[in-house]
Parts: sequence; C-alpha cells; structure tokens
Amino acid sequence: MTVLEVKALRRAFGGLVAVQGIDFTIHAGEVVGFIGPNGSGKSTLFNLLTGVLKPDSGTIRLFGEDIVGRPTHVIARIGVARTFQIPMLFWNMTLFENLLAATVEDHWETAQSRAQQVLELLELQHMTHHQARDLSGGQQRLLEMGRVLMRDPKVVFLDEVAAGVHPRLREIILVAIRRLREQGVSICVIEHDMELTQSICDRMIVMDTGKVIAEGSFDAVTSDPTVMKAYLGDMMP
Amino acid sequence: MSGFSVDSPGRRISNKVAVLILAVVCLSLPFWVGPYWTRIGTGIIMWAGLALSWNVICGYAGYISFGHVAFFGIGAYSTAILMQPEYDWNFFATLPVGALIAGGLAAIVGWPVLKLRGAYFAIGTWALGEAIREFATVVPFTGGSYGLSLPPNTSSAFFYFTMLGATAAAYLVCYVLLERSRFGYRVKAVRDSEIAARMQGINADRVKIQAFVLSAVIPAVLGGINAYWITFINPESVLNTIFTDQMVVMVLLGGLGTLWGPALGAAVLYFLSQQFSAYFGDNTWYLVFIGILVMIVVLVLPNGLVSVLPGARKRGVLNQVIGGVVGGVSHKARNADTRTLKEAHHDRA
Repeated sequence: MTVLEVKALRRAFGGLVAVQGIDFTIHAGEVVGFIGPNGSGKSTLFNLLTGVLKPDSGTIRLFGEDIVGRPTHVIARIGVARTFQIPMLFWNMTLFENLLAATVEDHWETAQSRAQQVLELLELQHMTHHQARDLSGGQQRLLEMGRVLMRDPKVVFLDEVAAGVHPRLREIILVAIRRLREQGVSICVIEHDMELTQSICDRMIVMDTGKVIAEGSFDAVTSDPTVMKAYLGDMMP
Repeated sequence: MSGFSVDSPGRRISNKVAVLILAVVCLSLPFWVGPYWTRIGTGIIMWAGLALSWNVICGYAGYISFGHVAFFGIGAYSTAILMQPEYDWNFFATLPVGALIAGGLAAIVGWPVLKLRGAYFAIGTWALGEAIREFATVVPFTGGSYGLSLPPNTSSAFFYFTMLGATAAAYLVCYVLLERSRFGYRVKAVRDSEIAARMQGINADRVKIQAFVLSAVIPAVLGGINAYWITFINPESVLNTIFTDQMVVMVLLGGLGTLWGPALGAAVLYFLSQQFSAYFGDNTWYLVFIGILVMIVVLVLPNGLVSVLPGARKRGVLNQVIGGVVGGVSHKARNADTRTLKEAHHDRA
C-alpha cells in the first residue's frame, strides 16, 4: 500500500533551489534512508513533507490525500511524527511533561502510563522530573524519539536522530526504531552514518543538489557511480 | 479532560496547607486591621491579579505584552460608562461587559499580532496600548481627557472582598487551565518550541489566541472594580503605561512562569511602594529604588523570589522569553558548547 506519494516537488529559497522536482513513493511498513551530502535538500524535503515549509509546486499525497498547504498540526494529526536535526524539545518542561505534551491531542487518557513505559524504554526514568534543558545532546535525541513513540504514528520522519550520539544511547534509539517498524510504521530516515543506515533501511533514496540521483537497495546505490561522484567529487579514481 | 499531577504527595499537602493559610488570612484581614491596611490589601490583591494576567501571556505563552494596560482600561471604561446615570447599570453586571470587550479585542488583535515573535510582538502590543489611550482621549463617550465620575461607594470592605473574589477566581481558573489540564501543556509546549508543538498536532495559532484572551479578560474585570473603587477615571489614571511596566516588574520580581510568583511580586512591590511614598513622599526616587531591586533579583535570583520558597521547583522561563525578544537566541543555542562538554563528561562517566 502506498503511504506517501511525492510528485515534482519543488522549493526555492530566493535564487537557491533547495528541492528541484523530486518524485518518490513510500510504502506501508517500509524504512527508507535518505542520504546525500550536506546541503542536498534532505532536511528541506522533510520540512516540506511535514508542512513546516510550503512547496513552490508539486504534490504530496499522504494516504491518497493531497496535503500541500495543510498546516503542520493537521498533517501531524493524520499520523505523522518527526524528530528535528537540531532537537526542538519543550526546554522548560520536564521529560515527563514533554512526553505528555506529545500526546495532548490524542490518546490523552492513557498518556501517563505510556509516558512511564517510554521513559523506561529510553532508560531515562532517573530523569523523569528533570527539565529537558538539563539533558545531554544524546539524551535530547532520545527524548525526541520518545515523543515520536508517544504519538502512535503511521509515518515517521527521523532527521539525523543518531547524529553525535554515544554508542550506548544510539543502541536505544535503534531499539525504538525497530519497535516502530514492528508496529508497521513507515519510517523515513536522514542519516549520515552508513553502517546505521545499512542496518535499518529497506531502501535508499540518494539526493544531491535538490534532486534524487539514485534509488534502490543499499548495495545498489552505494556502488552507483553517480552516487560515488556526488560523495567523493573529483577524488573519484 | 482530566488533569495530571506530577508533584509528590508531600508537596501537594504542603501546598494545600499554604493555600489554606493564605485563604484564611485574606478572608479575615478586614476584620482585624483598619481601613488603611484594608486598602493596602485591596491594592495588593488587584496587582496580584494583574501580574497573574501578564504572567499568562508572558510566563506561560512566551509573549512579552507591553500593552496590557489596554485591557485594564477597557474594563475601567466599560464599568464607568455603563454606571453613568443615563444607563445606570448594576456594578456587577458591568464587569462581564468589560471582560467580553477585552477578550474580543484580544482575539481580533491577537490573530495577526501573535504571528509576530519577540520584540515585534512587544512593539505591536505597545502600539495597541497607545491606540486605546488615544481613542479614550478623543471619543465623546469616555469624557475625553476630563474622564468620568462614578457613583461613590465608601465601603472599603466591599472593594476588598470584590477584588479578592475576582483575583481568587482568576487564580483558580489559571491554576486549573494552566497547571492541571491539557490546555496548560499546549500553551507551554508552544512557548518552548512552536514548530515542535505543531508537530505534536497542537494548533498553535488557536492556543496562542486562547492564552491571550485569558490574559486580557482578567485585567478587564479588575479594571472595572478599580474604576468603581477610585470613583473617577481618565486616560492618565487607567490607561497609563506605568501599569504595564509595574505588571512586568512584579512578575519578574516574583518569578516568571510560576503560579505564585506574580502574587508574591505584587505583594512585595506594592507594599514597598506604599511604604516608600509614606516615608519619602511621592517622588521619582522610588523608580530608582525599584530599578536597583529588579537588578538585584535578576542577578541573584533569576527565577524570582518564588524560587527561595521551600520546595520550589527550579524553573527559569526567563531565558526562553528574553531569548525570543533579543532575536531568537534560545538558551539552548547559547549553551550549545557547554552541552557538548556535559555530554562528553556524561559519556566518559
């Protein structure tokens, strides 16, 4: 089943075309890795898909429904959750409150017990009543992941969720991603760590200068000459 | 809609005892002090309510309003106009009218202005305050700069208890809405990170307008009571920007984003200002004294006086709010370096 269908998506910032006519499809229960050099338009793409930015043209169909121009909160309520490249937590709220706030628009009745479970899964119980701003960088990413788990989403966008994270915490993030996957959630991941991408992604979409330059299995795209050129440039033998 | 308590049971009991003692003191005050102290008490209670209202939009929603006096003035004029001999409304019936007009104006103005962030919102609301004052000065039904007189009522106990009822109700409503319901989570989430809040399905535009309306209704009611209390109003007395300034100072002094901070700040500042003018007369040295006091509090107790109370939770919304005003430098960005260090330390441990 097609969950997300993107066609001819374009967005420019002044003279810079960050996303130039992208097409791709995400199926139910799929984990898709988005890779590409910095500035290739991955985060802009995620911002377009979640309504944080509006596209200049193109269509985004989520469960068959065109969501272009819909506000972020409406898209979120369809079942979309995400993490941010630079964590955006509710800094002055406790970890517990952060998780409750994630579920304030649905499933509120069971929020408390689920928040406890999520804190256990993330091994953050000892920080339950600390403010989010007391967290380390790695723990901040864990809490962003926790909010996603609280949402009970259908589609998830993870923007460098394991970047700069200690291996032990990264392992916890991977457990969380696998849990989502078991629940049949479609997951889109931006990640620079190839090892991690390889271990969790069913399929890869490679971007460069705002375009999709390759698509397919990890092995297929990493041996693709276009991809190697995008990453290595003139260093190519 | 159910509320969640994340406090320990011990803390909740001590809170209840503190509220009970406060309630007994407030309810019995006019019976064991004279009219002078009853008037001081009325003033403290009014300012506690005004500071609370400013705290709702700033401490909870993260928007610095420099035009809050507009809502106070609207309430004052609504009551004054409707109590003129040609209309002759009952005093209590005039209060909801002022609240309705102030709330409606907040919703209409809030729609565009709450899309602005930081200093731009502050300037927008400041302009609103000035506009309402100019409006009250030029239109005929406000009496212009001459003002309006209200029928006198000399019972200081009447005003004390009316003010107490209004402020207590405001505190109760704010406590339930902001600390014990989903609405509070929405407001605080939007304050801390609007994009992240939207990503959780929260309709940030609506939440911000709701918070602004809540923070506008409270000063309108208090303004109406105050107008009847002082029996004569004009733009200088009820639409003076000094009112907004004093709300700001009281909240910062008491503790931004906390429920009891504004009341504490109001009590301390109002009491000190009355004592100051009693001993030194009405002069501008008072402002110097206030300035020094605020500097000391911001430097030594950035979370306000409320942070020295036993069992106070460490908060500190100040960085978040002020950070928004000075161009979006959140405390997070400023702490980025220390965070990396902290993380490294954590990882080593």
